[in-house]
Amino acid sequence: MARLSLWKDGRHSNDYKFFDRRISEMFTIGGTGVLVHKYLGPLNQGVTNDATQPQYLNQSEQNIQDLLLLENRDRKYDTSVYSMRGMYQVSDNDFDLSQFGLFLQTGTLFMTFHINDMIETMGRRIMNGDVLELIHLTDYDSLDQSVPVALKRFFVVGDTSKASEGYSPTWWPHLWRCKINPMVDSQEYKDILTTLTISDADPTPLKDILSSYNKYIGINEAVLNQAEADVPQSGYSTEPLYTFDPSGETPNAKIKGYLTADGIPPNGLPVVSGISFPSNPAIGDYCLRLDYSPNRLFRYDGRRWAKIEDAQRTNITNGVDTNLTLRNSFINNTNIFVDRNDEVQPEKQNLNTILRPKADI
Amino acid sequence: MINSYFYSGQIRRFLQQFIRVLSNFQVQIGPDRNGNTSLLQVPVFYGDASRQASQILRNNSESTLLGVPAMAVYITGFQYDRSRTQEPFHVSSTNVRERSYDPVTGELSSSQGDILTVERFMPVPYKLTLKCDIWTSNTEQKLQLLEQIAVLFNPSMEIQSSDNFIDWSSLSYITLTDTSFTSRSVPSGTDDQIDIAGLTFELPIWLNAPAKVKKMGVIQRIISSVWDDNGLLSNEVFDTGNSSPLSRQVITIMDYNIIYIGNTLQLIQSNNQNTFSPSGTAVEPTDKWKIGLARYGYESLRNGTSQIRLEQEGTTVVGTVAYHPTDDSLLLFTPLIDTLPANTLDPVTAIINPLTVSIDSALLNPVAGTRFLILQDIGYPGDEEGPVLWNRPGYPQLVASTNDIIEYDGTHWTVSFISSSVNTVQYVTNLRTMTQYKWKDQQWTKAVEGRYGAGAWTFVP
Repeated sequence: MARLSLWKDGRHSNDYKFFDRRISEMFTIGGTGVLVHKYLGPLNQGVTNDATQPQYLNQSEQNIQDLLLLENRDRKYDTSVYSMRGMYQVSDNDFDLSQFGLFLQTGTLFMTFHINDMIETMGRRIMNGDVLELIHLTDYDSLDQSVPVALKRFFVVGDTSKASEGYSPTWWPHLWRCKINPMVDSQEYKDILTTLTISDADPTPLKDILSSYNKYIGINEAVLNQAEADVPQSGYSTEPLYTFDPSGETPNAKIKGYLTADGIPPNGLPVVSGISFPSNPAIGDYCLRLDYSPNRLFRYDGRRWAKIEDAQRTNITNGVDTNLTLRNSFINNTNIFVDRNDEVQPEKQNLNTILRPKADI
Repeated sequence: MINSYFYSGQIRRFLQQFIRVLSNFQVQIGPDRNGNTSLLQVPVFYGDASRQASQILRNNSESTLLGVPAMAVYITGFQYDRSRTQEPFHVSSTNVRERSYDPVTGELSSSQGDILTVERFMPVPYKLTLKCDIWTSNTEQKLQLLEQIAVLFNPSMEIQSSDNFIDWSSLSYITLTDTSFTSRSVPSGTDDQIDIAGLTFELPIWLNAPAKVKKMGVIQRIISSVWDDNGLLSNEVFDTGNSSPLSRQVITIMDYNIIYIGNTLQLIQSNNQNTFSPSGTAVEPTDKWKIGLARYGYESLRNGTSQIRLEQEGTTVVGTVAYHPTDDSLLLFTPLIDTLPANTLDPVTAIINPLTVSIDSALLNPVAGTRFLILQDIGYPGDEEGPVLWNRPGYPQLVASTNDIIEYDGTHWTVSFISSSVNTVQYVTNLRTMTQYKWKDQQWTKAVEGRYGAGAWTFVP
């Protein structure tokens, strides 16, 4: 009679299979339902001229999008959702108030899955980047009762390894331990959050329901609106001030100061705007020439159109059309030109690519 | 009652502007399943939020996903800046004219409103240190944001807390003083920290106490020579009783004079710079009333309501004024009857030149009480054959001098007002023209018409 040994020289023996079935059964009996959004690899980046960010011809989770920074930013997820069973130790959660909002201090969970069931279900083991939805943590009672659906709870797999408690007496592992962190609304998970909708009838992306992004954008807009109300334009407004002119005619000058020129006639007097001077002007008439950059305000003194000022004040909010700062003229430049080959070229070009040959097609 | 509270949100406004500076930055993400790239705006918000507000933003749910990337701004330092201390008790005054505000339209009009004096107390220098944390989910996002933000500061950029022309401390600048590429350590080990880049900025700011805003008063009279012969402050400066200051000099803007003729007031520049008419006659330079009034701080007058007060001989003639319809240098003047000087003599029937007067029945047969102010002598002492017109048989010869007033008492003419013996100011009205005359310095002049020098007239808007 051979000596009793559960280790069978590297073979998955019937003992192993026995243990594995019992363990799988334990997950079926006592595990919680988990929906897995399977990571498929980076999205097709298209044709690139950057060797560190290649276009892969195959869709594989083995591809790495950025070979310099070694990260996958634009991730593709399987549209099919894999239902599995997992186990973890439920613990109390405290919120950590950070500068970016409340984080779950104990939000990181360690969840175990049955390896063979996992492979049978989704074709591979769970890996970093897979997204898990813990169904039993679905929130049916959020503060905003107008939200049309219960809020799903998503986690992202951060690390995976074999669980120490998952080794049977045969010394073969049966459990896969996943370190999972709360998901954020980021570029990496856009594919899930914009593809999933509230329901088949309501195409609203899940992102709009789950993410705090829109609320923070709204907060930012409110601050911006007040900031623009306080300082609509750079420099100082002389509009509320009265310009006195002893001649009795319309003033031929404006109150001087740092960045006070706005192209508006003194005392709010009428002005004609255009790309040429009006005919038959009266003494004291104002004209704002829009073909000057910056726009120039003139006053007719009976003999000539005398310059009053060049409009210097401008909106200083980044990116808005009315921002006429020098910096903005470089950055938010949508001007184009037509080259000798009748190709339309943008004025705004990065310095490292100027004068380089461009693809014809 | 304690009334020491003030708050104008000065730091708050700088904080808002700082958030504005960092707002509207975007990162490019994608391509997505359809091959499209998109730009994602990065929200900027205050980083030291309350726990309750943060929970509300989370929808009181653990399921809420925080958005990445994001930028959080918060204050890390607020220190007095000793190096920028200036005279702490300095008060700066500035005078401004406001455009008037139309409460109906809610807009500024093109006419002048109040003229104000604004007194500003020396602001207190502080150095504000601000931190901007940038949370990104990958390095490429961080590089995109840093590249865009970093070119803003070379090394500083201007920032304003308001665009008020009077706010002398609204302008400041932001200087990027420190950067931290990541909050994580390399190697990161088993930690799963979020990746935060940090930018530290400094703003030199000034904190102001409230300003004093006053309606500007125009100094119209300055009494100089307030010292007496002994070099002491003269009591007469304070004594407004019977005596006058030893020396008094009236100084007005442009030294404007007024000439009152008929029912008009003409504004004259009394600066001895006469111009000459084509005929060579010196012409005193006039000025337009609108300009003159504006120099005194008045935008305009109200026709029929505004007043001009003319001062003479201790009395003040008050009249309403209105613009002359055709001549800008004239105002129509309507004196208030009650303010005209009271007559000290009975009115005269007319002013006559006894040598050229037309003789009619009224003169031949005057009624009792008829009084004439005469412009030439009548008779002379010792004349036994005086003018028949003025003499009646049985009565003494009428001898009257120029500027006398003669009166017929029903039987003969007598001298009622002997001008040579009267040295006090007298007033009499000519019933023929209803013009009042004044006897002063041995001559008759119109009582209120004439020239009013600097300091002898006042405008009441």
